[in-house]
Amino acid sequence: MRAYLVARILLVIPMVWILLTLVFLLLRVAPGDPITAALGGQLPPAELARRRHAAGFDRPIIVQYFDYLRQVVSGNLGKTQQGESVTHVVLVNGSATLELSIFALLFALVVGIPIGLRCGRRRDGAFDTFGRLFGIITYAAPVFFLGLLFQLLFTKKLGWLPPSGQVSSTLQAEISDGPHLLFFEALFKGDMTGLSDVVKHLILPAVTLGLLITGVVIRLVRVNVIQTLQGDYVEAARARGIPERRVVMRHAFRNALVPIVTVMGLQAALLLSGSVLTEETFNWPGIGNRLIQYLQNRDYLAVQGIISVFAIVVVVVSLLIDIVNAILDPRVRY
Amino acid sequence: MLHRRSALFGPAAIGATAAAGLLVLTACGGSIGNKSDSAGKGRTTITVGTTDKIIALDPAGAYDQGSWTPIQNIYQHLMTVEPGAKTATPDAASSCSFTSPTTYTCTMKPGLTFSNGDPLDAKAAAFSFNRVDKVNDPKGPSSLLTNIKKATAQGNKVILTLGTPDQTVPLLLAGGEGALVDPKVFPENKLLDSGKVIGSGPYKVAKYDVGSQLVLSKNPKYKGSDKLNNDQVIIVYKQKASDLKLSLENGDIDVAYRTLSPTDLQSLQKESSKGVKVVYGPGAEIRYVDFDVTTQPGKQKAVRQAAAYLVDRKQIASDVYDNSVEPLYSIVPTGLIGNTQPFKDIYGTSPNVAKAKAMLKAAGVSTPVKMTLWWNPDHYGELSGDEYADIAKQFENGGLFQVTRRSVDWNSYDEDSKKHAYPVYELGWYPDFPDPDDYLSPFFIKGGFNNTGYDNPTLDQIINAQRGEMDQSKRIQQLSQAQQIVAQDVPLIPIWQGKQNAGVRSNITGVKDTFDASFNFRFWLVGKK
Repeated sequence: MRAYLVARILLVIPMVWILLTLVFLLLRVAPGDPITAALGGQLPPAELARRRHAAGFDRPIIVQYFDYLRQVVSGNLGKTQQGESVTHVVLVNGSATLELSIFALLFALVVGIPIGLRCGRRRDGAFDTFGRLFGIITYAAPVFFLGLLFQLLFTKKLGWLPPSGQVSSTLQAEISDGPHLLFFEALFKGDMTGLSDVVKHLILPAVTLGLLITGVVIRLVRVNVIQTLQGDYVEAARARGIPERRVVMRHAFRNALVPIVTVMGLQAALLLSGSVLTEETFNWPGIGNRLIQYLQNRDYLAVQGIISVFAIVVVVVSLLIDIVNAILDPRVRY
Repeated sequence: MLHRRSALFGPAAIGATAAAGLLVLTACGGSIGNKSDSAGKGRTTITVGTTDKIIALDPAGAYDQGSWTPIQNIYQHLMTVEPGAKTATPDAASSCSFTSPTTYTCTMKPGLTFSNGDPLDAKAAAFSFNRVDKVNDPKGPSSLLTNIKKATAQGNKVILTLGTPDQTVPLLLAGGEGALVDPKVFPENKLLDSGKVIGSGPYKVAKYDVGSQLVLSKNPKYKGSDKLNNDQVIIVYKQKASDLKLSLENGDIDVAYRTLSPTDLQSLQKESSKGVKVVYGPGAEIRYVDFDVTTQPGKQKAVRQAAAYLVDRKQIASDVYDNSVEPLYSIVPTGLIGNTQPFKDIYGTSPNVAKAKAMLKAAGVSTPVKMTLWWNPDHYGELSGDEYADIAKQFENGGLFQVTRRSVDWNSYDEDSKKHAYPVYELGWYPDFPDPDDYLSPFFIKGGFNNTGYDNPTLDQIINAQRGEMDQSKRIQQLSQAQQIVAQDVPLIPIWQGKQNAGVRSNITGVKDTFDASFNFRFWLVGKK
């Protein structure tokens, strides 16, 4: 296990390096540089040249490349056009995205696994048809559309839930700077008023983003349970008179978990891209929301920093998935 | 043994690591609901929602409404515009006057301080004006202050040396570009981070979550004349007008200011049972169709004049904007001194196809005239598309024009429109200060900011003369002449003038009082019943 782990961690280095190189190159494919793109036409050429020089964009591209790598390795992702540290943005807004993603994933698993299991067990039955249809619809429905529908129903019509934000404006004003894992903060501090407010704000975005993943979970669990239920060891278990429920849960489902965990890990990228749209729809103060603002402002340095973090997150999640897979299935280690 | 090693990486260990990580992040984070000094009991907090964005809270880096709204509440100015007034009166200064046609001298009030206790004196005021020029930020207001060649402090006096005589200076000093900053806090040559700004106005920045929320609390060291009807203002930044409306209905915000769509406004007007109402007030925001006169079809005056005959402003105001805007018949909006209605006098209030046809025929222009009409979907509101569909139809009325509509994102639009990329295109203008000159000089002197190629030396001469004219009646005459020339030459067609509006909870007072041509949202006037 240790050798596997060491090898897998060492593999992360070239993966991250390739991704960072791609991010760097992609943002330089377009002609010009971030300063010219953002401020060209607004500044006299001499002032533009001065700013390009100050930001180092007039240096050879290879020098810029190694400088960028050195900065990322040292945890310095540069500064936004407004002088804010991108690392600080990632820490503060990224934590809001993390909170949203955790609950979206939790929702997807809590809803998707039981439906997928039942569909797998009752293949081609009425519930299976419903489950598959539900999975396709939730996966295919655009996040922003679903979000708007939820806002209309639960905020406008029923008035049960707030339309947007991570917490009420007056409560947010009382929170000092730093990562915004408000649910956990309120929970650990026993602040029930704050917790209730945070949960109300969390429900709609988490369900909207969660539904996107739910469709994947349902189909994945269903297919894998159907496959494992056809296995010889399941037949053998049944022949030994083990109750069907136990056969499904202990023998079929557990073995079906390995591919499920792998594919679910890959959904991290889907969660990140989905969070961008969800955060925009619900005005959630996450990293995706900021990314859209930076794109609109042509703040390419900020965009580069955030995409670099996205890339690293996906690599780290895939590393974690490999480790979990190795634990679940010892064959993976060899 | 192998089994025990594996257990180190078991699900429980991973779960514990994840929980520990969350705990660490939580510990690093802020506290929820336990900060006593920001929203104490008995204090009045007003929550204002907006779809505007802050570019900078440092006045040297701000030239946009989203930034100027909080800036006007955080900083004092030498002069100020009282609600509803058309002229400026002293604020941080005890008196200001022209000591020569090109020298404007202000005497500072004694004992003023910034919110951190540093003195606000003549040196600080002079530093503030000189600094805008030194920082020269591309998104800042340095272009507005180009006529102030030098600011010097002499004892308790600030002396502004002007390049040319300029009657707009008092109003200019009252705008966001004239905000007074602390020389001990603000760097001389570069912008200060928005979260660290210090002013001497009614409010100070208590907290700034970029893109999300700005909290302004009462500045205990404020010594101005304005009385505050609240203790704290929270500005909440929303992405969409629909979200703004829902938040108001839901009670999460007390005021929805800039920018609710006309449909939302109509809907809110019918929701008094939900504790919501809409208030309107005068505004000086305008929209117009700009012609690039270096290229066809706008190169020929007759074509521009024919187009002016075809526009139906009333239809746009009612059909597209549900009468939340008013038809505009001059480049200078109503409510400002010297406003006349030359487009109404020359081209009428209703479309006149016959006159447009005659105009083109007389000039020998063959019809239909091909026109590409550009508009922008992400800067002037979501109704721009409907507006320009209507304008295109109006131009095509009688078969005189054949219009193709095109749109592009704001960044490209803003940049390319100044490079003669668009022959006929949508533009809008928010006032920098409530004076007619702000609708003339930037547009027409030396070709204007929009670089349409239109240059009329006679018009330039009249505009320059009115700016320096001390006699008000003579100035009004000159303003009338300038507006008349614009209507005759038609380098642009004014379309509409906006009214200011806000959706408010029914227990909120004072919002209507702050609406005037200065576009200043004075938070201190807003209170709760």
